[in-house]
Amino acid sequence: MSVTEQGLLERDKDTMTLNMGPQHPSTHGVFRVILEMDGEVVKTAEPEIGYLHTGIEKTCENKRYVHVIPMTDRLDYLNPPGNNLAFCLSTEKLLGIEIPERANALRVIMCELSRIASHLVWLGTHALDIGAMTVFLYCWREREMILDLNEEISGVRMMTSYIRVGGVAKDATRPWLDGIRDFLDYFPAKVDEYERLLTRNPIWLDRTENIGVFTREEAINWSLSGPALRASGVNWDIRKSQPYSGYDNYNFDVPVLTNGDIYDRYRVRVEEMRQSRAIIKQAMEKLPGGDYKTQDNKVSLPARETLHTSMEALIHHFKLVSEGISVPKGETYVPIEGARGEVGFYIVSDGTNVPYRVKLRAPSFMAIPGMCKMMEGCYIADVVGIIGSIDIVMGEVDR
Amino acid sequence: MTSEEIVEKVKAGLADAILDTALPQGDAVIFVAPDCLQKVMAFLKDDPSLKFDYLSDVRGVDYLNEERDPRFEAVYQLYSIDHLHSIRVRVGIDEENPSVPTVSKLWKGALYPEQELFDMFGIHVEGHPKNERLIMPKEWTGYPLRKDYPLTTETVTFSHNRDFKSELVKSKPPTR
Repeated sequence: MSVTEQGLLERDKDTMTLNMGPQHPSTHGVFRVILEMDGEVVKTAEPEIGYLHTGIEKTCENKRYVHVIPMTDRLDYLNPPGNNLAFCLSTEKLLGIEIPERANALRVIMCELSRIASHLVWLGTHALDIGAMTVFLYCWREREMILDLNEEISGVRMMTSYIRVGGVAKDATRPWLDGIRDFLDYFPAKVDEYERLLTRNPIWLDRTENIGVFTREEAINWSLSGPALRASGVNWDIRKSQPYSGYDNYNFDVPVLTNGDIYDRYRVRVEEMRQSRAIIKQAMEKLPGGDYKTQDNKVSLPARETLHTSMEALIHHFKLVSEGISVPKGETYVPIEGARGEVGFYIVSDGTNVPYRVKLRAPSFMAIPGMCKMMEGCYIADVVGIIGSIDIVMGEVDR
Repeated sequence: MTSEEIVEKVKAGLADAILDTALPQGDAVIFVAPDCLQKVMAFLKDDPSLKFDYLSDVRGVDYLNEERDPRFEAVYQLYSIDHLHSIRVRVGIDEENPSVPTVSKLWKGALYPEQELFDMFGIHVEGHPKNERLIMPKEWTGYPLRKDYPLTTETVTFSHNRDFKSELVKSKPPTR
């Protein structure tokens, strides 16, 4: 069958319409883009999303605050602790409660571990899309160690739901802390190994340098966030600009590069893995003692032992389990720096134990129009590289 | 600038266009009518001491259960990359013919969330290049995130309930 018979090429126009996705390995989920091609060059790229829509925001409006936390895991499924944290911070801001130092440190450790794991998935799949198979296997090897650590602390490898309103689910265990120390010693050499494979590899440079370029102004105007924004020369990291969970107590650099191409996005993320390791190391060194969750019994369950001796504890326990947390009336939004960029939940509360409205600010969702803008004028082979460099997760795009 | 200073500055610059201001939990929030929105947003973006050059998100809220007038609200979150401050702009939208002007001429990043506003709440965005479904299928009827849109569950047929005819079941409201 010829191309014309398939309806791909219309004789009266010079361009060809090419459908890419939704079932395409490089689209990292179910993302469809309709490309208008002039020979090998993309003229326009039209995104189409919604294939993974499960109505999570509507579901959240019908669940109690505690029940929403496992839903947030399933949004950005490569970085669940980041989503848990964003939801908990917004809820805690409405509740007006203080979080113990130890809980904050454990949250930071968990989020940074998950940032490394997420960047490892990104690096592996991005390199695989462009054609470097080995990096994929190496990245999965190190990610497996982080997933084992997740299992040790929360019992689950990916959807941890470890961060809860008022603190974290469980105190740090000795094997978990020892495992993290081992990982921190082991990991830097591995990042150097990835860099030896890619950073000065001529094939990698040919495929990434000066491709998918976004200037500083374009990146800001199209609301890119996270590493994609920083690769375009914008020094914007919410951990620095609006510090949360005690990030202002740690020394770390925000890598900023100026070319705004695929290569710079790669280098920003690789450097971020090193910085995340530095943050975890500092948090481990000065891990404060004390509570791992707030002692406010309107928010977190009282200690198990007190149930036998204290009537008040028993009542709090009963009320929390049967009714859940009641959040004062109001609306708020707390952004955090997730692995892909700015994540935050806009929560409207009507004073009951069920949120009135939950809206996720998803970095992948906001980046898609800009990503398709980048594709215009590039070769079809580079479309795959551009999608990989933005690192979209369709779970949070379609929600 | 602190939130108080931002609110004071906006009040001074746009006294006639601002309906109200608030500082919930220390965030700067301003209330604007839909017909003044583009003027206010242009001021927020262009004023050198405010310089809100980054649009973080646009969200819709349906205040049906609160019996508030106007029923809908669009909420814009803005940041200034240089000055490291933020503001939230809340726009009340009437129930009859809900519509709001687009801000995508100022920030291209608004294109997608504004289209979602139409998709999920049926709020017409004037001047938006695409007033069509974004996430839901093109032929979908109704606006899912409106409060009067029922939460339904669909029973899926498995081998153990092979004879079951698939139907939509309205789920029970949450326990309060």
